[in-house]
Amino acid sequence: MRLRKLFTAAIAASALVAGMAIAPAYAATEVKMILWPGPEGEAMQKVVDAYNAGQGKKDGVVVKQVLLSRDNTFAKEAALMKSKSSEYDIYFTASYLVGQHAPYLSELKGINDKLYLKASIDGLKVNKKQMALPLDTSLHFMYYRTDLVSSLSSAANTAKYKQISKTVLGKELSPNTNPETWSWDDALATAAFFTQKYNPDSPTKYGYALPAKNLLYNTMIWNDVLWGLGGNWYKNGKPNLNTASGKAAIDIYRTIYTKELTSPESSQWEYAETNAALTSGNAMMALQWNAAYSELSKTGSTSGKVGIAAPPGKGQRTHVHALAVGLNKYSKNQAAAAKWMKYLATIPAMEDYAAAGGVPSMPKILTTMVSTNASFANIITYAGKYGYSESAGAREFDIYAKLAEVLSPAWVGQKTADEVASAADAALKSLRK
Amino acid sequence: MIRQRRDRVSALVLAAPLLIFLSTLVVWPIYLGIKTSLSRDLLSEFEITAAGLDNFRAIIAAPDFWSALRFTILFAIVVTVVEGLLGFALALIFDRKFPGKRTLFSMVLIPIMIAPSLMAVMYRLILNENIGVIPGFLQKFGWDISIFDQRYVFFTLVALDAIQYTSFAFLLVYAALQNIPQEIYESAAIDGARYRQVIWRITLPILKPALAIIAMLRLIDSFRTFDTIYILTGGGPGISTQTIGIYIYKTAFITGDFGLASAASVTLVLLLAPLMPKIIKQFRLDIK
Repeated sequence: MRLRKLFTAAIAASALVAGMAIAPAYAATEVKMILWPGPEGEAMQKVVDAYNAGQGKKDGVVVKQVLLSRDNTFAKEAALMKSKSSEYDIYFTASYLVGQHAPYLSELKGINDKLYLKASIDGLKVNKKQMALPLDTSLHFMYYRTDLVSSLSSAANTAKYKQISKTVLGKELSPNTNPETWSWDDALATAAFFTQKYNPDSPTKYGYALPAKNLLYNTMIWNDVLWGLGGNWYKNGKPNLNTASGKAAIDIYRTIYTKELTSPESSQWEYAETNAALTSGNAMMALQWNAAYSELSKTGSTSGKVGIAAPPGKGQRTHVHALAVGLNKYSKNQAAAAKWMKYLATIPAMEDYAAAGGVPSMPKILTTMVSTNASFANIITYAGKYGYSESAGAREFDIYAKLAEVLSPAWVGQKTADEVASAADAALKSLRK
Repeated sequence: MIRQRRDRVSALVLAAPLLIFLSTLVVWPIYLGIKTSLSRDLLSEFEITAAGLDNFRAIIAAPDFWSALRFTILFAIVVTVVEGLLGFALALIFDRKFPGKRTLFSMVLIPIMIAPSLMAVMYRLILNENIGVIPGFLQKFGWDISIFDQRYVFFTLVALDAIQYTSFAFLLVYAALQNIPQEIYESAAIDGARYRQVIWRITLPILKPALAIIAMLRLIDSFRTFDTIYILTGGGPGISTQTIGIYIYKTAFITGDFGLASAASVTLVLLLAPLMPKIIKQFRLDIK
């Protein structure tokens, strides 16, 4: 009896010791990842939950997503990066920021480029090294009211259109009812036709909703005008805005504002206000982010009546960027974080992301989900056909911000294109150093 | 002798928490700020190198810095005057008895209890031409106005600041008014003084220290204005509404130039520090 008790106690003690020894091997490593609140953060939480409940257990990894504020995520990350913090293992970044963030990120290896939209995956390479993994792809559409554009073809409207275009633009133009082929003259003439100042019968007060606030994201939209007219920030390494195409692009925004084709308060507008102008029925068209489609297609005056076209221009172009995640160089959990990133690069993970509202940069997933969001088809087409990214290196983010500051007075008529173009070139030169 | 030493040790022990607090949260950050201002410290560059006085030279030569400083001074002076006058007028109104005074008193104080950034987000919604309640209401009476039109944007920003902070001036003036002995007013009434004379000759001179404190606090506070303007205009169009706070924030966290941003902060302190004794003397604040 005593021997039996002793034997049992010995087994229990051995099991306890073995358990203590084995336990650390099963303890999951916590990986902390920063994202911002909104559709991306919400969609990612579903992916995180699925991973923690499944693959994460096999990997011995638990992922914790931390959502910072939408407006200041990158500012907070800048402070963390500069202090070489290891508090978070994975940083939120984007193709326009990855050059600035690259010194604080580890290179990602083993990513299958072919799964992604080329513009999105390439935009996250720095010196040919993959520094971040694409999540959502963002680009621009020209949104317009389909019911109003189709009304242009009547004989009475054609005559009026010619007269208004002559008054506003100094050119007699005929209506073009196919926005996919619009030049900027077509877009401006149509905007003028649907502005009550020139056409009191117009159902919309303004023809255009212009996001002209001093904000770097507004420069990204204006950049489509520049590229559409054949311009660029740099040509052969030299600043290229104080040129005919640069000034023409500034003048298009200036014309929209000074001819009152947009609201006077659009000098303070960004994404939300532009959407509000369209859905309230106050404006007829706008160059805006693809993310706006779900709201515009279901809300207010644009519900069921919103059309999508490529940004106007001699050769249509659209800015493309990818939101992304990168591995903190100072993370103490590099191996665990890499396992999670590897999972995030799989089709099942991104399918979960898309199902939860994300817009993954994988064409295969976007194609299969066109029935849930018609704009997905345009994203694939436009990113491939018209997409560009500035790839201005480490200072790209700063350049967008500086150009917003320098150009916005001309966008809203406070200064002329001539006055700001040379200042823009000087800024480009100093930031290229 | 032993007792004196004991007292000194006790004083040091008692002051230690405060000294540690000041060293870690005030002295150390100031030291780091000055050190950063003397460095080339860019987010896009991994290495931090010594820059001597380069950042200070760049700041002194930067028109944007001076433009932001000019705007900030103008904005601070205008809002301080407007809020001081409105607060004083409100306090005079509330110094009388009238029905609903308590409820109205509470309502007047509400704006100051709300975070400025939250107020700014709210303004963006309620003043928006397309979906805002106030433009919608005005349009019903045929008044079609774009409140954020660049022509009025300075006045809009002043008005929005006044909505939030007039209650601060009001509260201090009202508290000071309660301390004025009623007998003085009664004597003035017996002497036949008119209301305007009473305000000008009695109330204002007595309230002078309170008004000076309000002016100083509001000047300092409005000099730091950041959130409301940043959310509403981003400092634009161009840099026409850029405060010094926005300039420093953008330089550090958007341009990623921490050295230049720190140099701007240090320069600002150096510019303002000599003014403080003068301000204190001007307002005759009895600081012992």
